[in-house]
Amino acid sequence: MNFVLNTGRTIKQGSYVERKNSDGYRDEASACRMNPVDMMELDLEDGVNIKMSSPAGSVVMKAFSCQSLKRGEVFVSLGPYANHIIDGETHGTGMPDFKTTMVHIESTDEDVVPVSRLMEECGGWPYED
Amino acid sequence: MRIEDVICPFCGCLCDDLVVEVQGTTVVSVENGCTLAHEKFTGDNRLQAPIKRDGRTWHPVSYDEAIETTAQILLEADRPLLYGWSGTNGEAQSIGVHLAELLGAVIDNTSTVCHGPSIMAIQEVGHPGCTLGQVKNRADVIVYWGANPIEAHPRHMSRYTTYADGFFVKGAFLERKVIVADVRETETSNIADEFMHIEPGGDYAVLSALRAIVRGKADIIPSYVSGVAREQLVRVAEMCMNAKFGAIFFGLGLTMSRGKYKNIRNAVELTEELNRFTKFTISPMRGHWNVYGSNEVFTWISGYPFAVDFARGIAFYNPGETTSIDILRRGECDACLVVASDPGAHFPKQCCRHLAEIPTILIDPHVNVTTHLSHLQIPVAVTGIDSEGTAYRMDGVPIRTRMLYKSRYPSDREILEKIYQIVLKEKGP
Amino acid sequence: MSELLIRNACVIDPLNGINGEIMDISIRDGRIVEEVSGNAQVIDAAGCLTLPGGVDSHTHVCGTKVNFGRYMSPEDMRAGRTARNGCMHVTSGYSVPTTFGNSYRYSNMGYTTLLEGAMAPLEARHTHEEFTATPHQDMMANTLFDGNWAIMEAVRDKDVRRTAAVVAWYLKAARGFAIKLTNPGGTEAWGWGEDVSGIHDTVPNFEVTPAEIIGTMIRANEVLRLPHSVHLHCNNLGVPGNYQTTLDTIGLVPDLNKTRQSLYLTHVQFHSYGGTTWRDIDSKSEEICKAVNNTPQVTIDMGQIMFGRTTTMTADGPMEFKLYMLHRNKWSNHDVELETGSGIIPVYYFRKSMVNCVMWAIGLELALLTKNPWQCLLSTDNPNGAPFVKYPEIIALLMSKKLRDQECALLEPRTEHHVPLFAIDRELDWNEIAIMTRSAQAKALGIRDIGKGHLAPGAEADVAIYPLKTSEIDPSTQYQQVIAGFSRTKFTIKRGRVVSRNGEVIVDGANSTIWVKPKVPEEYNLSNDPDFVRKFQEYYTVRMSNYPVQDVYLPRGVCIETEADL
Repeated sequence: MNFVLNTGRTIKQGSYVERKNSDGYRDEASACRMNPVDMMELDLEDGVNIKMSSPAGSVVMKAFSCQSLKRGEVFVSLGPYANHIIDGETHGTGMPDFKTTMVHIESTDEDVVPVSRLMEECGGWPYED
Repeated sequence: MRIEDVICPFCGCLCDDLVVEVQGTTVVSVENGCTLAHEKFTGDNRLQAPIKRDGRTWHPVSYDEAIETTAQILLEADRPLLYGWSGTNGEAQSIGVHLAELLGAVIDNTSTVCHGPSIMAIQEVGHPGCTLGQVKNRADVIVYWGANPIEAHPRHMSRYTTYADGFFVKGAFLERKVIVADVRETETSNIADEFMHIEPGGDYAVLSALRAIVRGKADIIPSYVSGVAREQLVRVAEMCMNAKFGAIFFGLGLTMSRGKYKNIRNAVELTEELNRFTKFTISPMRGHWNVYGSNEVFTWISGYPFAVDFARGIAFYNPGETTSIDILRRGECDACLVVASDPGAHFPKQCCRHLAEIPTILIDPHVNVTTHLSHLQIPVAVTGIDSEGTAYRMDGVPIRTRMLYKSRYPSDREILEKIYQIVLKEKGP
Repeated sequence: MSELLIRNACVIDPLNGINGEIMDISIRDGRIVEEVSGNAQVIDAAGCLTLPGGVDSHTHVCGTKVNFGRYMSPEDMRAGRTARNGCMHVTSGYSVPTTFGNSYRYSNMGYTTLLEGAMAPLEARHTHEEFTATPHQDMMANTLFDGNWAIMEAVRDKDVRRTAAVVAWYLKAARGFAIKLTNPGGTEAWGWGEDVSGIHDTVPNFEVTPAEIIGTMIRANEVLRLPHSVHLHCNNLGVPGNYQTTLDTIGLVPDLNKTRQSLYLTHVQFHSYGGTTWRDIDSKSEEICKAVNNTPQVTIDMGQIMFGRTTTMTADGPMEFKLYMLHRNKWSNHDVELETGSGIIPVYYFRKSMVNCVMWAIGLELALLTKNPWQCLLSTDNPNGAPFVKYPEIIALLMSKKLRDQECALLEPRTEHHVPLFAIDRELDWNEIAIMTRSAQAKALGIRDIGKGHLAPGAEADVAIYPLKTSEIDPSTQYQQVIAGFSRTKFTIKRGRVVSRNGEVIVDGANSTIWVKPKVPEEYNLSNDPDFVRKFQEYYTVRMSNYPVQDVYLPRGVCIETEADL
């Protein structure tokens, strides 16, 4: 099923901003909030893993139901998970489409990887505290 | 030790009324601050010493070696990018711009993925704004557009707007009307007197509809505009026109969605048109506590607020070309110095890939997402906690942050100054 | 010890009565002295015109609104770019250059001291940060009080002493130099989108009039014994018929100070309009100058406009909105809580516009019709009338009737019937130009005693040597040489050091910031005043302890301490 991905600040994400390798940050930055009816259609339970894909790539997150979102819209806190599937195109403005990327969501058995692993996929190497 | 009137180096509100209790080199309590302030002051997750990566192993290095390595990498680069700057003080930012000038580098700050489009709009149509105290003392109508202050700027409403009593508004909570425009319901929209729930990407159309009504053309508005009913649009326009003092605050909901800077342009022009009837102001909700300072410092030295390219000797600015995302996406830069920010967390994957490919150096107190992409990280003191310097609040009011205790880390200003001196020796007059 | 000897200088030093004498100037450790040793470095001025360093007594070069002028104008930044060169940093900008751009260009014109025309105390820290990045001029800041709530309350209570105490508190907190009133009362009214239209209008909610604010502040200024007088941007700037407001204001001014004026009226060109609309606007420079000639206790500056592109910026928020409604380009506004406002719009002054031509003529008329050059100073209200790099052209226009006639021939033809300029024959001489560009400024600002604006032993060794041989040039016909000469010094010397030579800055600067601290008795120290403290904490959004500018922002501060008469 296809959705419009919106990203933005959440207070939880903000409070983990200096601890981005913590489980808390991972949990918040990889939480995909969705309309409950959409979740029902995709046969998703609260907290199950999903794979979100766009032409820029795909990433595993967890789905959470959120009454206030309209159908067809999903919300993820800003951060490395959402950015894994947002394209770098800026249309000459310097600003990617952080708030209006079209994505595909399906259920998955794959795990949510830690932030450091995401960066390893980009060619980096994890630093463990 | 109890320290009063402490300035919070988290968000653009730059609250300066915190009371902080310090024991030795630890903050043990924070009064008056929000959750974010509390986390910032009491967090103890500092990187202990500079670290360097050789292939797949990280090892500690001395500050001197880290500084020398940084200078050499920058000197050897053909097209270095100096990115970040919003999480440090103006004095460090100033050294950064001069370093870029010396190197012929591109220097850019986090506005580039935040309110860069707002700056582009202001460059087209200007900015009718004010300091936050004007709003607190006078405003009877507040508009939050594409912004969710309860989560991003938790004390904005209590210090400056909705709940802040002022000279002409003694009972703010009762006397003020709050309008929220957003593509989703939020904590903020839940307390609004009017919530315009806009379809994603529909902000430009809704702003245009309001402008039409303000210009006396309500009759041409269709029954719904991007999900908002005409009746509500008329009601909102009338609330604005009948305000004694209205203030619009907008967030990334306008800068990052379809239309980008054109959304802001439309909002500024709406504000300008409302000024023909009453007093109205508009202000961006700046994110980092000193992102506005980086715009100010960049501007008085180079002439431009962000995305400044010194490759040709002169200062050159062209968003879309000299902006960090575009430079990284094109794989253009061959070294990157990141200061006081975290592009690893906030840039698209394509850009992170390029950061991992080139020598990337991070100057930041904490291990963050960019650490894993870097080759070298230099930990520094945190401005506002164990280092001090100038910050500019979201409305341009400059405040000096405080040092609460003596740090065991050098400040980023000291590190940058040393790098600058090495580069100056090679490139100077 | 560093010594410098300037030989064969053709010196004009009006404050010391020297007019075109060939002489040597001795400098030791940054000051003018009687003589130096044989080891002194020698500069041969070769008979060139040598003046005290230029002093600009009203210019907008640093601070919140100036920087916003840059921020919002990439088109202006592109219009003046230089690369890093030697010790010179990159510069950008034409009408609102970057700080280093301002500093180098002023230095190349021989200017060594500048007064920033408007600083909001709440944002003073910003102004001081930019001062530090304007390294070749000593800097001072006019401090805005036009809409200050504590001032208006004290004025309403007719309490001159409390007014003085408020001024003292803010000047010290902001590290300011002088009292600036910009459209007094009007900037507070603009908080509600309104304005005042004359000096006897009442300011909404505060029950005071501009006349009362101006009158009380003039007295408070003298109570505090400040070096400069009140520095006033009159009400009704840029409105046809506003000359009456200006005349009313001049009529208010008591004569309270023996050494300088009691009121400084700035950019009077913008305040000398007759008529009722933009169609019938005419010059009232004759009426204004008559009043100035008869009122020795006032000093004015011209506020000359020059044709072409520039950026207007002022604390006068309502005026900028009116101007925006005419030009419809882009508009920025920035009101400052409890204190003042500001606005910015870019403009283009056209020769084809009769209004612009009348404005151009008025500025020159003010300088030519004011009998005493000590009372009318050369300015463009940089960059409002024109960028300061146009000063040499203005000097040439004032020195040459022939050049004025040439320019007048290009004006919109109806202009002649609206201005007296065409009939004025006066040509200013070198001495008068020296007065209008440095000596009178130093006197008006009250900085002669700290060694500014003259070259007698003891003075600061700020010297400008221009490639102009006054005995060989006839300025009324050789105006091109006059323009070229004043555009680029042979040498600019700042505190005894050659900082600029033939248009190139050759050292890193090390300026000072001059500020004023009036000493008041403890009972007038508002930090202890419960009412002041309570209102401060309730209505400002910055805590009182975080408000004052810290010493670290003035690395080379020069404090003028005064004993208040309280």
